[in-house]
Amino acid sequence: MATLSIKSLGKVYPGGVTAVSDVNVDIADGEFIVLVGPSGCGKSTILRMIAGLEGITSGDLQIDDRRVNDLEPGERDIAMVFQNYALYPHMSVRGNMEYGLKNEGLPKAQIAERIAEAARTLRLEEFLDRKPANLSGGQRQRVAMGRAIVRDPKVFLFDEPLSNLDAKLRTQLRAELKALHKRLGATFVYVTHDQVEAMSLADRIIIMSNGKVEQIGTPMDLYLRPASRFVADFIGSPSMNVLDGTVSSDRRSLQLNGSHQIDFGTELPTAAGNQIAIGIRPEHLHQNTAGETRIELSVGFIEQLGADTVVHGTIAGSQSPLAVRLNGVQARDSGDSIALSCGRDQIHLFDGTTGQRLNWDNQ
Amino acid sequence: MVENRPFLTFLTHAVLIIGVLFLCFPVWMALVASTHGPEALSSSPIPLWFGDRAWENYSQLLVGGLPEAGGVPIGSMMFNSLIMALVITFGKIAISIISAYAIVYFQFPFRMGFFWMIFITLMLPVEVRILPTFDVVVKMGMLNTYAGLTVPLIASATATFLFRQFFLTIPDELVEAARIDRAGPLRFFWDILLPLSRTNIAALFIILFIYGWNQYLWPLLITTDESLYTVVMGIQRMVNSGESLPVWHYIMGTAVLAMIPPVIVVVAMQKLFVKGLVESEK
Repeated sequence: MATLSIKSLGKVYPGGVTAVSDVNVDIADGEFIVLVGPSGCGKSTILRMIAGLEGITSGDLQIDDRRVNDLEPGERDIAMVFQNYALYPHMSVRGNMEYGLKNEGLPKAQIAERIAEAARTLRLEEFLDRKPANLSGGQRQRVAMGRAIVRDPKVFLFDEPLSNLDAKLRTQLRAELKALHKRLGATFVYVTHDQVEAMSLADRIIIMSNGKVEQIGTPMDLYLRPASRFVADFIGSPSMNVLDGTVSSDRRSLQLNGSHQIDFGTELPTAAGNQIAIGIRPEHLHQNTAGETRIELSVGFIEQLGADTVVHGTIAGSQSPLAVRLNGVQARDSGDSIALSCGRDQIHLFDGTTGQRLNWDNQ
Repeated sequence: MVENRPFLTFLTHAVLIIGVLFLCFPVWMALVASTHGPEALSSSPIPLWFGDRAWENYSQLLVGGLPEAGGVPIGSMMFNSLIMALVITFGKIAISIISAYAIVYFQFPFRMGFFWMIFITLMLPVEVRILPTFDVVVKMGMLNTYAGLTVPLIASATATFLFRQFFLTIPDELVEAARIDRAGPLRFFWDILLPLSRTNIAALFIILFIYGWNQYLWPLLITTDESLYTVVMGIQRMVNSGESLPVWHYIMGTAVLAMIPPVIVVVAMQKLFVKGLVESEK
């Protein structure tokens, strides 16, 4: 149990490649933080810097107000779960779990007690004497978690722990992880590239791109008020429709690149002639004309997902791609046209050049 | 390639059986010859079945000592060979695994330079550097000692290279997990690297033991004292025993005895080797 404080953390590799720059975040005791972003965005580097596996170029890292920049990984009181499990192949499950404790010099009785408890929590009792080679992927990952739990660390670190598992197992272990976090009440830092994992697990998400933090916030913050075009695009599946255009002279409509025009019925918070982008989530477009903003979709192809149907196409009369999520099973042919509308409060605006969110009084 | 025709099955088996007979015949002959008297092998036809002097020949060889071989019993030569082979094997494995560990897991100046220096010595087998090495051994006063027999043969670029390649296949995460588990460099080496290298060590043990056991030229140079003769030298001396007729029954008996330890090592280590192969995952 601990707080984790990251102050203007930076990492420059020898050779001059900047992997991470100026990351600031305070993580509360017991918080579940998910670092998410595309590959190469620096999320794993941050995790490895917290673990002590990667040197810190600049900034401060504090666990419980103690600066740990220069401590060895074993001295930081953290535990880490790796993507490929990193179990010691020649040791039994029990051996894997007790290795760290033995090195710490814990009394035998206490080690046995902790292992018994962790094995019960993770339902690993019957596998304790097996070798990792004789376990399935899900069981191996549970052993890796067990190895972390028995150490009773201040901070748990997870580096894409579910990425090597199949989809069904991933969902199951995700639920187990969430339950585990609740039971332990410990601070979790979790890295993933999967936004669904991030949304379902996190108390707060740190979303990164190119070594910089794009936004820090609760999953709903990120979904409802994405701070930038990158965040808007990354969170949500299918991802948000983002359309580039020019603000018209009366500032009440947007001239899309092409000839189409979208009317808002209110003034946009930016000067006429500016390049901006609007974002509308596929699930916020409805098959009626009740919303203030109307768009006509020319159907390209559809994805039947059962519970709902994703229709991909273009805005009628333009080349701008658009996707919409409709409820239930819907049959549409290519070339059909669907009249859609969207509430003004569900339209996001982004600066055309910086990609930053523009706030307006639409809500 | 995989065809299932009776004729081909017959043919492949015939070829294999002929090959086995061809390889085993000399060994069989040595075994048979070592149980006869000296005349049996100089006369025609050469016997193909065991004679009645097995006990006599072998007891004479092991403890009696032969004038043809310098009067030293084969038993003591076997002991010398065993010491030499074991010291070379353990020494080579120990030194090469430690140097490979240093080269793979530690950052130090001229790391690759050291690696290449070790690697380049692969190009210099014992025979090439035998004079300078001999000179060094003489100056260090190691003639006619076990140290002189073994130490110069211990350094091994091949084994270092083999361990290095193996260490490079061990995932980095394993090292990192060990660091988080508070295992220092020595602990990591002892608890994780060494057990994982078990199969490599077994394979190397077989190769290096036979290498050490079969050494001929080096012990020939270093030893003049008959109590330090190795069994391979003993055989050679018996064959070239001057004017007198070679004592073939003794020579064959010595050859048979000299075969036993390498066979034991191969059989014993092969079990571990196969077990390691079966157990390994990924």
